[in-house]
Amino acid sequence: MCRLLLAFTTFFALVMSAAIPARADETVWSGLVIAQNVQQPEPIPVELTRIERPLKELFGYNQFQVIGQSHKTLKTGQEDWLATSKFFGLHVDARGESEAGYILNLKLYKEKELLLETDAKLSKRSPLIIKGPQVGGGQLLLVLIVR
Amino acid sequence: MKTFEEKWTAWLDGQLSGKELAEFEASLPDKAAAEAEKRDVKKLGVLLKRELGAGVLCNEDFFSHQLRERVARESIEPPRKQATEVSTWWTIRRLFLTGTVSLAFFLVFAVFVMREKNPAEQSQYLTQILNARVDPAISPNATISMFEAKEDRVTVLWTEGLQSLPADYAAK
Repeated sequence: MCRLLLAFTTFFALVMSAAIPARADETVWSGLVIAQNVQQPEPIPVELTRIERPLKELFGYNQFQVIGQSHKTLKTGQEDWLATSKFFGLHVDARGESEAGYILNLKLYKEKELLLETDAKLSKRSPLIIKGPQVGGGQLLLVLIVR
Repeated sequence: MKTFEEKWTAWLDGQLSGKELAEFEASLPDKAAAEAEKRDVKKLGVLLKRELGAGVLCNEDFFSHQLRERVARESIEPPRKQATEVSTWWTIRRLFLTGTVSLAFFLVFAVFVMREKNPAEQSQYLTQILNARVDPAISPNATISMFEAKEDRVTVLWTEGLQSLPADYAAK
């Protein structure tokens, strides 16, 4: 009877451990992307493959290059970080976490000039794309993806 | 000091003797009537011994009678026990086993259902843009709109009229 009880307890523990997934730290990828139309487009960066179709369909460009990026692992949901290129900076300030995702304050700087500010609730399963200013013949895009 | 009743009983049983017997018989008011009563008592005793004594079991008989009853009882009980074992399949152990197995099945199915359900629940959440603003001094004609491409699960903040920049700004 004792062995049976032990076996049952072990089984129960295993099932419950499978049922309640451990909460892993999540990483937010933030990227500054230049979208352009070129004769011979380069392959889309790995970070953007997940949203390749909407990027091409919505913005109408055939090449996407990452000019600045940041991988930030969120532990408390209160972190802040910066993704920068030579002239642009995207400051992300996480202001908490909810079931739906992370509440973020985003600021796009051109050098020291604030171009755009937005607050968003970034879902863990739904990327955010921000259309930035026109840069030459292309377009600056800001992309945030939770991994 | 014996009472009269005690002496009377002893006299009936013939247990008085000597001086005590003489004193008791002298104290009797009607000795003839007493003797007649003594005889009747003796007759009654003989009668009782004869009539009731046959039915009384001695120790050996009583013991063997008890043994026979017990043997008879035990010879009847085994089939009854066997019948009980056959009919009561749900012993405590089997009930516990069945309960455990049922609970295990329930947990396994619950886990699978929960695991399949969770993505669907989470998928209801799309990124939301709470607000957005541009500096009117830098981009006076800028407009902002937002939409969700639900098919691709993407949220887009769409700006128009932001300050255009030369191609040099695309540098890494």
